[in-house]
Amino acid sequence: MQVEVKMPDLAATEGSDIVVKRWLIEVGAPVKRGQPLLEVETDKATMEVESIATGVLTATRAPAEEKVAVGQVIATIEAKT
Amino acid sequence: MNAPDESTRRLALLERMIAIREFEDGVRFLFLEGSMPGTIHQCQGQEATAVGVCAALRADDFITSTFRGHGHALAKGLTEQQLLDELFGASTGCCKGKGGSMHVGDMSKGMVPGIAIVGGGIPLAAGMALAFKMQRADRVVACFFGDGAVAEGAFHEGVNIAAIWRLPAIFVCENNLYGASTRIDLVMNNPRISDRAAAYGFFGETVDGNDVEAVYAAAARAAARCRAGDGPVLLELLTYRRTGHSRRDPCAYQPAMERKEWTARDPIDAFAARLQAEGVVDAESVERMRAQSAQRFAEAVERARAAPQPSVDELTTDVFAAEAQP
Repeated sequence: MQVEVKMPDLAATEGSDIVVKRWLIEVGAPVKRGQPLLEVETDKATMEVESIATGVLTATRAPAEEKVAVGQVIATIEAKT
Repeated sequence: MNAPDESTRRLALLERMIAIREFEDGVRFLFLEGSMPGTIHQCQGQEATAVGVCAALRADDFITSTFRGHGHALAKGLTEQQLLDELFGASTGCCKGKGGSMHVGDMSKGMVPGIAIVGGGIPLAAGMALAFKMQRADRVVACFFGDGAVAEGAFHEGVNIAAIWRLPAIFVCENNLYGASTRIDLVMNNPRISDRAAAYGFFGETVDGNDVEAVYAAAARAAARCRAGDGPVLLELLTYRRTGHSRRDPCAYQPAMERKEWTARDPIDAFAARLQAEGVVDAESVERMRAQSAQRFAEAVERARAAPQPSVDELTTDVFAAEAQP
């Protein structure tokens, strides 16, 4: 099952930018639920975003330094059921 | 050997802590998925404080809560469904969807909805305890707050009035070492918070807040003291939080070694190991408790997702107090 990973609501100020800093898992690699998937920079801090599913990372939709909105799909995971 | 009812009581402590952990871990992913609006303040690692204190209270006793209130609610008898409906903003939630994660509570179960003003619950608890005293009811209020609240004027005013009027209030300080991102040694020369009670002439003690039975015993002593008319107690519970202050806090200020040491003192693992060593429970039963909690959580999430949202014409109902009876 394909799971869409959406940018969680991590910014301290509503509507402020969240910037993707780097992906910690390569496309095609396995990932576990709870494992850090990428690093982002909010208006307040740099922080890791954890995976919401166990499976294989099939695509990333936001490269490093790209600004993303809360709720925007940033990756897909083929989840193990 | 434990008498059967004693074993049942101890197993209930374990079951509640496991239920809280499963709830909090589940909610964490709901937040990451974007299913849940707002931010959340979680209590993973602090389950023993809520469960130990609430197990020592009666159903008609009250608690006040603050940040990290999901555990307090589940320990005081609210259900996962009531909480999840509230977290999803549904009208079937414990505050009809108007409180959200920060303000969970249910007056009929003895929990004032969570208070977001740091230290704000302390004078409020003193007021409730005054009401109990004036009604000559032998009820008790347990007021949860964090180490950060001790620096607020409300703490000093609230505990002082409780002390001089010998009010039946247990002031429960969950000292998790950090007020948001500030470590207590930056803001306190005397980090032993229970010592503050002596300044106001009442009883205080510090116990291991990750040992649910030590918490239970101390809270039971405190409640007995309150009911006997001997005045309030300041109960300091030493614990540690696993998460950031909120989900938006990466928690980079907690040193790795400190985190590791506290993780090794997990309140649930420690108590499960003790009960297993004493032959009260086996590993399979502990696993079954976890599976049952996880299952109950998953089912409650499905119902909460489908629960009705409040309508616009309910916007101003329940906003102003009517005849609130504690």
